[in-house]
Amino acid sequence: MLSDLRIRFRSLFRRGRVEQELDDELRFHMEQQAGKYLRAGLSKEEAQRRVRLEFGGAEQVKEDCRDARGVSFLESLGHDLRYALRMLRKSPVFTAVVIITLALGIGANTAIFTLVNAVMLRSLPVHDPQQLVVAQWTAHHAGRHLGESSFGDCGSGPDSGTTVSGCALSYSFFQEIQNQKSVFSSVTAFAGTIPLNLSGNGTAVIAQGEIVSGSFFHTFGVNAALGRVFDSSDDQPGSHAVAVLNYAYWQRAFGGSPSAIGRTIRLNNLIFTIIGVADPGFTRLTPGKSVDLWIPIAQGSASGQPWVNTSDANNFWLVVVGRLLPGVSRAQAQSLLDTLFVNASTQGAKPIWIAADQPQLALLPAQEGLAGIRDMFGKPLLLLMATVGLVLLVACANVAGLTLARAAAREREMAVRLAVGAARRRILRQLLTESLLLSFLGAAFGVVLAWFGASGVEAFLSASSGMPIQLDVHLDWHVLLFGVAAAILTGIAFGLAPAFRGARTGVTAQLKGTTITAAAGRGRGRRFGLGSGLVVLQVAISMVVLTGAGLLLRTLDKLRSIDPGFDTRNLLLFTIDPELAGYKDAQILDLYGNVQKKIAALPGVTHVSYSSLALLDGGLWSGDMNLEGRADKHPFGVQMLSVGPDYFATMKIPLLQGRTLIASDAKGPKAAVVNHAFVEKFMAGRSPLGLHFGNGDSKPDTEIVGVVGDTHYADLSSPEAPTCFLLLNGGGATFEVRTAVAPSSLVAAVRDAVNGIDANIPVMYLRTQSDSIDRLLFSQRLLAQLFGIFGVLGLLLACIGLYGLLSYEVERRTREIGIRTALGAQRSAIWSMVVFHGIVLVAVGAFVGWGAAFGVTRLLTSMLYNVRPTDPLTFGLTAGLLLAVGILACSLPARRATRVDPMTALRCE
Amino acid sequence: MPPHIDLPQGTLDLLILRTLAVGPQHGWAISERVQQVSDEVLRIQQGSLYPALHRLERRGWIKARWGTSDNNRRAKYYELTKAGHKQLATEQDAWEALTAAVAQVLKAV
Repeated sequence: MLSDLRIRFRSLFRRGRVEQELDDELRFHMEQQAGKYLRAGLSKEEAQRRVRLEFGGAEQVKEDCRDARGVSFLESLGHDLRYALRMLRKSPVFTAVVIITLALGIGANTAIFTLVNAVMLRSLPVHDPQQLVVAQWTAHHAGRHLGESSFGDCGSGPDSGTTVSGCALSYSFFQEIQNQKSVFSSVTAFAGTIPLNLSGNGTAVIAQGEIVSGSFFHTFGVNAALGRVFDSSDDQPGSHAVAVLNYAYWQRAFGGSPSAIGRTIRLNNLIFTIIGVADPGFTRLTPGKSVDLWIPIAQGSASGQPWVNTSDANNFWLVVVGRLLPGVSRAQAQSLLDTLFVNASTQGAKPIWIAADQPQLALLPAQEGLAGIRDMFGKPLLLLMATVGLVLLVACANVAGLTLARAAAREREMAVRLAVGAARRRILRQLLTESLLLSFLGAAFGVVLAWFGASGVEAFLSASSGMPIQLDVHLDWHVLLFGVAAAILTGIAFGLAPAFRGARTGVTAQLKGTTITAAAGRGRGRRFGLGSGLVVLQVAISMVVLTGAGLLLRTLDKLRSIDPGFDTRNLLLFTIDPELAGYKDAQILDLYGNVQKKIAALPGVTHVSYSSLALLDGGLWSGDMNLEGRADKHPFGVQMLSVGPDYFATMKIPLLQGRTLIASDAKGPKAAVVNHAFVEKFMAGRSPLGLHFGNGDSKPDTEIVGVVGDTHYADLSSPEAPTCFLLLNGGGATFEVRTAVAPSSLVAAVRDAVNGIDANIPVMYLRTQSDSIDRLLFSQRLLAQLFGIFGVLGLLLACIGLYGLLSYEVERRTREIGIRTALGAQRSAIWSMVVFHGIVLVAVGAFVGWGAAFGVTRLLTSMLYNVRPTDPLTFGLTAGLLLAVGILACSLPARRATRVDPMTALRCE
Repeated sequence: MPPHIDLPQGTLDLLILRTLAVGPQHGWAISERVQQVSDEVLRIQQGSLYPALHRLERRGWIKARWGTSDNNRRAKYYELTKAGHKQLATEQDAWEALTAAVAQVLKAV
């Protein structure tokens, strides 16, 4: 159909020429015909008259020819668009309201879709990501003698009651995989991120470092933007210590200066040379994880982490990614590695599993296997996506309502067009063009809104998740395609019904000038029905979204009102790790003592202490314990926390029995304090004072000297568990500073105090205890806030819809209201007539929404705490709110109705 | 003037294609020729001739170029394309089959 296309394009782009040719062709024909009649003896006038008669309307023939050439579609699209623009310019208020409504609806959808895209859809920014596989193991029992962590690179995997899984492997097994040259072209392993104390570039800061094999950049096909990336020679024992910077980090911390290459920096006090900056496109591997710099595994000891250990086969710490050779299938490589893995893990000096545990190794596509935050955010994001979809539906219903009212006002225009011969199909198309134009304009603004919205959510995520979360929220073709699809769908959704109504206009009734009567007589029931239906739909959907928001807010409220067991207000936290700066055992405790004294002397500080971890801060340490005097000799697990002197006074945890830990306990016999839940669970309420315990398999040597009140430890929602407090004797620590003033006002003073003691110790994670708790609750907060925003948005749109419908009704019934007033109806009666109409719609909508919410809120169950998905209070309050706001929206048009002057109303006919 | 018969639906294309099979022609000549050959029985309405020509051109069965007529005027000449020849053969076969069948029925009953 090449000729077809050619002709269409020619007709479209060379219209003048084509029209001229058509004229010439027809004129030639008429002249020939006239010439024939002249030769037959007719007069010139007579000949021309006959030709014109025979030919019929020349314009009609031309139109038919244009149709035959198939130009009319594109050509009339141009007409339609020009006309649509003119119509929209003529009613700026309508246009503005519709575009804003659609921009909000489409913008909210695009914003959430941007996040879904960044977290779940976007492919790895590396060369040929579909060739990459990541190893994941599963077994029926947790491994023996096994240390394992993958730093959140993989999702939780298919963990269930009987299966455990992970994607970290030992260094020796990584080497074994690297030797499988028959299936992989390249294999890499990496671990992290690990906070590294970076000095030698201004003040000491913490940089997030990833420990990677020499083959890392080669496997991912990532090149250097500047300098060079690692090769295998950088990852040999004894090779020079080198580091590669992430592009964004280079920009941020080194000002993008090329002189950074070749510079030496100190990482945890060891000297490294910066050899290169990675390609700017290589922003991430695992969604959400941000890396500042990379160091080779051979230099891993710089991390100061005991588990960075290449000799222990029972230490699983490296995530392994391989690039398959062309033509090798995932299954082929998997069966090869599976055999190796089973052998390695069930044999050897300290086998991790027995054959009955059925350890297995699977290869997953890297895109799927490196899940990262996808696990945590996947479900909430999908729920949000569904919610904003509902909001868009409200927006569509709203705009449909507005367009419907406008279509009614334009019936006369449609009638005129029909009467002069426009096809109903053309009118339908004209109206659809108008709505699509509106929706595209709305989508254009929406995409801009979405960009701000998504950046806002990303900032919120980073600020409140406790770890730096990095998402690519920039617009890509996925997002733009989504925006265009949303625009087309909404344009059709809200434009279709009014367009059909417009095309169905009755010509005679309209042109006879009996519009008002016609509308009142014929259209009343039907239009009234559709418009009201749309308002009911909006109210119902708003009810569903608001109920969801209400349930999440109630959950947040319940979580916040939990008593954590200690005073969370006026508590400033910060973390230091003197080991990274080279401190050893006794030096560390001396340093902590100094820091404690120096900060306690600051004005506004009442108490200072420290602990290995902070409570309600995201961390948890648990261990095994064997206790004297128990019938059951098996060790049991308890929560543990190492604390400094004065800890319980600082935290305001009440002492129930005995005494708390003091500094001199470090030198005397080992002492510990347990909590009330410990006594309840293991002592059946008897006093534990004087009893000794060991750490699971050692002799009981630590004496319990006191009992304190219960506190929440890892999170707020799980019940208080048995906890044992020991005296801290080394390692990094988090300081707790109890203040009499606002804790944030002491941030600078605290930092100066620590720097004054040793400037090489960076103060990490300065935060208040309330910040920490907010971070723990951040997914609930995020969901509650976004649901709240969308709920209010939906409610607002529904109110505009209700207001619009009633205003239109009042206007349409001006005559009727005038007659009623003339006949003596009270203003209050008119007022309640209009308001009653609105209330009925809101009530019906609320009732429908109530039923729908009842059905769908159970999807939220896993995100609720102590609130049932059918919580009657939430349902009641939401319905109440809807009714109250609904009455407000009705009262304005109702007031206008009471102002109708009967004389004017009757005269306007 | 003998009474003329209105063209049955769909036969106009066939007549145009057949006429052009002889050689390139402009619109007016096509209608004249059909009228002549059919002894003035068949008359093509100008109102339908030109839309039909443009339709056939779009389908790729005929193509158009500007040339000079016998009386030295610029005229648009149409000629059959390869696809047009094929289409003519198909349509002609179909037409002959149809008329033969109709004739048979008319004779038999």
